[in-house]
Order: sequence, then C-alpha cells, then structure tokens
Amino acid sequence: MSALSRRAFLIGVGEALGVAALELSWPDIAAAAMEAGAVAKDPAGATTLLAAADAADIEAIAAQIIPSGATPGAREAGVVHFIDRALATFFSRLYTEFHAQLVEFQAACRASNPDVASFAALSSQRQIEFLRTVEQTPFFDRMRLFTLLGMFSAPMYGGNHESAGWQLIGFEDRHAFEPPFGYYDRDYPGFIVEPGKPA
Amino acid sequence: MTARTYHDSELVDFAIVGSGAAGGVIARELSRAGLSVVLLEQGPRMTPAQFEHDELKYWFLSGITNDAVKNPQSFRNDPSKDAALAVLKPPLWYARTVGGTTVHYTANYWRFHPIDFHERSLLGSIAGTGFDDWPISYEELEPYYTKVEWEIGVSGLAGASPFDPPRTKPYPMPPMPVKSSGVLFERGARKLGLHPVPAPLAINSVAYGGRSSCVHCGFCHGMACEVAAKASSLTTVIPEAEATGYCEVRPDSYVVRIETDPRGRASGVTYFDAARRERFQKARAVVVCANGAETPRLLLMSANGQFPQGLANASGLVGKYLMFNYTSRVEAVFEHELNEYKSVQVTRILHDFYDSDPKRGFYGGGGLDARIGPQPIMWAQRMALAGPRWGSEYKATLAEFPRSMMVGCHGTSLPVETNSVTLDPELKDAWGMPAIRTTYRDHPDDLATARFLQERGAEIMDAAGALRAAKPPVTEQSNSMHLLGTCRMGDDPARSVVDRYHRSHDVRNLFICDGSSLVTSGRGQPTMTIQALAFRAGEHIADFARRGEI
Repeated sequence: MSALSRRAFLIGVGEALGVAALELSWPDIAAAAMEAGAVAKDPAGATTLLAAADAADIEAIAAQIIPSGATPGAREAGVVHFIDRALATFFSRLYTEFHAQLVEFQAACRASNPDVASFAALSSQRQIEFLRTVEQTPFFDRMRLFTLLGMFSAPMYGGNHESAGWQLIGFEDRHAFEPPFGYYDRDYPGFIVEPGKPA
Repeated sequence: MTARTYHDSELVDFAIVGSGAAGGVIARELSRAGLSVVLLEQGPRMTPAQFEHDELKYWFLSGITNDAVKNPQSFRNDPSKDAALAVLKPPLWYARTVGGTTVHYTANYWRFHPIDFHERSLLGSIAGTGFDDWPISYEELEPYYTKVEWEIGVSGLAGASPFDPPRTKPYPMPPMPVKSSGVLFERGARKLGLHPVPAPLAINSVAYGGRSSCVHCGFCHGMACEVAAKASSLTTVIPEAEATGYCEVRPDSYVVRIETDPRGRASGVTYFDAARRERFQKARAVVVCANGAETPRLLLMSANGQFPQGLANASGLVGKYLMFNYTSRVEAVFEHELNEYKSVQVTRILHDFYDSDPKRGFYGGGGLDARIGPQPIMWAQRMALAGPRWGSEYKATLAEFPRSMMVGCHGTSLPVETNSVTLDPELKDAWGMPAIRTTYRDHPDDLATARFLQERGAEIMDAAGALRAAKPPVTEQSNSMHLLGTCRMGDDPARSVVDRYHRSHDVRNLFICDGSSLVTSGRGQPTMTIQALAFRAGEHIADFARRGEI
C-alpha cells in the first residue's frame, strides 16, 4: 500500500496548488483513505463522525442491503466505517443532507414501531418490512449507494474489510492476467473469416 | 531532452487549447512542421506510474476528471425548465489531465462508415432536426484513419468484416486475444447468420510504438493505463510533439477566454495558471480542441463587444446540436465463468445493423459489441436494473459477477437544436467562471434505435445459450462521455461553425477541432474519427501557416 500512497501524494501536488480553499481534493481524500485504512482494521470498532446510535442504524440498514449469511455481508465488510470516513472527508458536502434524511428515517421508524427504540433494535423481519416502505426514498438510494461503495471499493477506504466484498463476487484484485480468461475462451480455435457480403 | 518553453509575451504560431484526442495530434502535426506551439491543458500532467486501479477514485471521486465541486454543471431535459445542479458527478464527464479523455477511454477504434458522412442525401431530411451531410467524405478521411491506426497504434483484423469500409492498409497489430464474452457473442451471432468480427482497439496486442503490450489488467474503462499499452495522447503524440523542440505542453493552465484584436482576429488566450494567476499567451492563431462541452463553453465565454454572441458564433450554432450517442445494454448470465473483469473491454463487434433502414419506421443504426461486465461497484449498482435492489436475493445475484457479460448496443443520436451546451446564468465554477448548462432530450428515433439494437443483442445472447438475458429499460439520458456536434463543420456559414478545414467561419485565425466538429454522431466510438479529423486538420492548418494564411 505504500506505493499507492506515494502515487496518491504525487497526484495531489498539482491539484493542491490551485484549490486549497475549496472542498477536499485528492490529497485530502488519499490522506483520509489512509487514515480510514488504519482505523478500520476492526469492523466492530467505533465510528468517528457518526454517533453510536446513528452508526448502529446505518450499519443495520447496510446489513439489510447486503445481508450476512454463509458469506460476509455489509456488516462484516465494515461498510459503516467506510460511510463514517466518507462523510467526514470526501463526501463531507453530502453530510448535512444525509444526516437530515437519517433523522427523518428514524422518526418514521419510531412512528411505525413505537414499541422499539431504534431501527437497529428491530428484529430482522421488522427491519425488512419497514425498509420496504421507504425503499423508494432518496435516503434509501443514498444508503444503497454508500453501502455498495463501502462494500466494493478498495479496502484502503475503510470498507471491503479483508476484501470481503470482492471475494463475495469473485473479483480477483491483480494487476495482470493471461489468456485464457474464462471457461468459454479456453478452447477457442481462432477467428475464421466467413464469406458473406452485406446486402 | 528538455522540452522547449515559451514566455507568455512571446508570439507563438499556435496556442492550442486542450491536450486530448485532437489537441495532442494537432500539436504534433504543427510542431513537426516547424511551427511554434503552446499546448494548454486545464488539468495536471501525470505519468503512467501515477495511475492505479481504484474504481472509487476514478468513477466516484473524480480522480482525473472534471468534478462536481470544482467544475459544477447543471442539467435539464426540458429547455423551458430551470436546470438542476448535479451533485455527485458532472453530467458531461471528461478527463481533465494532459492527454484528456484518451487517458481514460475504452479505446474502441472502429472507423465511421461512408454513409455517416452523407446520410442526409441518402435518406432525406428529418423534421425537427439539423440532420445534415458532412462537408467531407469518408474517402477524404480514409488516409487519416490509416494514419491513426499506424501512428497512434490500433490492433484489429482488416478484411474480417464484410461491412468494413474501404481501407488502404491493414492494421499494424493483430487483434487482442478473444475473451469468453467475445466467443459467446461470436457463437450466438453466427447462429443467427450475422457477422461478428474482432474489435479494433487502440490497445497494443504486441509491443508497438515504443509502448508495451497489454497485460490484461481489466481496468481500461474510465481508468488510465499503468503500462501505456492503451494508446493515449499522453503517451503517443504529445511526447513526439515535444521531441520536435517546437512544442511546450503547459498543464494546469485553464483557458477562460480567447482574446481578439480590433480587426476581429484572435490574438491569444487568457488562462489561469496553477496558482490561479490570470495570464495571457500571445499567438498568431488559436486552435480549440477542448472537447464538445468545453469548446463551445470557451467560445461563449469569449463574447466581447465585437462578438456579443460569443466567438465564431454568427450562426448562433455554437453549443447546439449536442449528440451523446445512445448505448443500450443487454446483461447476460451464463452457466460457466467468463471472468470479464480481466483484459480489455471489448473483443468482438458486429456491424450488421449499422445502416439506417427506412423499413424500420425510424432513423438510426448502430454497432453491437461483446463487452466486459463493469467493475465491482458499478456491477453492484447495475444489478438493480435486472432484479431486486437489496436483500438476500440481491446478494445472491451479485455472485453472478464472473458468469456475466454485457452486449453494448451503440446507436445514433440525431442533431436536435435544443440539445445544447450553454452557460448557466447563475452557477459558477471554482474560478468564478460560468458553469456548463446542458439541455438534452433523446430524439424519439434515437430511443427507438436503442431498443431495436437491444432486441438484436438479446437475440444474440439467447442464441449463445445465455441462462438469462436482461434488457435494462431504455430511458432518456441525463449524462454522457460522448460530447459531439456542438461546433459542427459545414460549407455554409449560416448552418455551421467551422469550415471543412476546421477554420471558424467568422474568425480567420481561429480553428476548432474535436468532438464538437462532428456533423452526425456516427454509431458510437467517436475518438477514432476525432483523431482522423485532427490529423487532417493538422496537415491543412500547417499548410495555411506556411502560406501565411492564418
């Protein structure tokens, strides 16, 4: 990973000169990612920006989008840590809106489930039932996007813990491959030009 | 060797704005002719060693592209409505780095066909559009297509396709090794009597042009090649331009105005340097190659007392007739592993449906290709189109990743006048300059073509034995990387922005060459044609300079 951080640093040099006053640019993103990689080794660890109760709800939603089971889901991949770091750094401009949407989500959840303290505390079945009522909302779309980003982006960003996301889908993180690449090109005899002219 | 540098106050022959597909080529052609050139680029200069595999960075955090924070844009489908700010990603998306979009493109390099240049004469006009012939023919462009293939480096198999337009030379490199997607596509298409052929790609199948062959890493699309096997202006024509000793590449130089003198001629360009100082580069002539979005924006931002509508805009057509192409998709799943995340995007294409056929009842045609499934994040996002969006069932379909592929169906876009790039009346970028406002609504024929091609793609996947072939709904587009037609070529100054040599009709020493020059959209894969146009433009502009006609 040290080569990656060197690259990220080099990329940042040109950009930083002109845009220091703006929101995060690449060096900040890279630095934040490095930090995230350092703190997120433990998917069960505490979040930094998100309050514990909010983090619990976010993690529970993510875990319904990609559930745990025979293979790791969003919870084991540490998606909540990705979201925590993203909203503190490269997606900080999205935080205010996201948080407001979360508060609204939590209020709606309490209204539908007055007997339970939070979404995270609901049974899995009741979580699914409630999510079905909000799956068309901008908040759910945002949560889904963040979950997928956290599940499948490079582990240095804080999610995809031990490449759990990549393993789930069978993606191999390598810099070079050789043919044959798959089952169907293994015994390919070579391209044969067929006769035939366009009409 | 150290490349040549010039002072701002030094009168150079050419200031070229934009170092991408066209700007790089023209810089090389002009500097090889012994003309002094300053090539200005908005973005930084990077080297292949700085590129990396990072889907989040390149696709979601604007690693090397324009971004929604520094370069905000607004978008609307309906010209009568206000445009909305795009929060996550600019709707018109391009690489903002030396080499431009050639650094992150897929490098599909098929040639346009002869009909692309004179389709209006063949089919007649189409109501409500600016459908027109080009001022040049395929035959005039053919030598330059060949030049692209040999001097940029394209792999492929000449003579394979019965639809291949006439060519004077074969490809300099054999095609890339076929992938499972290509084998299946070929199998299905041949069962249906169609003509799948190896894809031409600006990617080295063998070492070529001093660059290595492809290592099949699978990160072409939207990414930059770490081994420079994918040809980009950054690794081909730009170093060659610098080697002449006549060309300076000036990165982090954001041109915001083309200045004119009292005679109505371009006198140079005003730009912000990396430290945001406003500077002025004097030049005998200016060539704008900033892409189909930034080129019209720059011309509109250059409005002054003499040219109140913007530069080169007496016709009022600067920024109009924006064309995206339409890519519809078929997502197919097979029994065994394809592992499409390995190697290049495309290994087989098919042009059986390239021509428009009036019998279909709508204008349009296209090319199909067998294509890699997307990288992991995009794969997970896209599954939403084919089935459940979350939950256990969704998780199970995610695991189909290695067994899936896609057919890309690349179709025409008609030139519609209201589809346009204009200056947003309120939104500004980080430099205080007016942001790009895009207005775009696909013509009904473009959507009909996209659906027609998608049906053909699905038939091919069925014939290939797909377990499932899903057709994501064809809906109106709201973003694109194909930025075409906004300063179209033509002989008539009332109906075009530049002439057949890319000289602007209104300003004698202002030339424009990039995706904006295209009169029709082709059937996707426009970069090959943009570069052929650039080789041709470079040759003519050098001649004009030698004859004192700039």
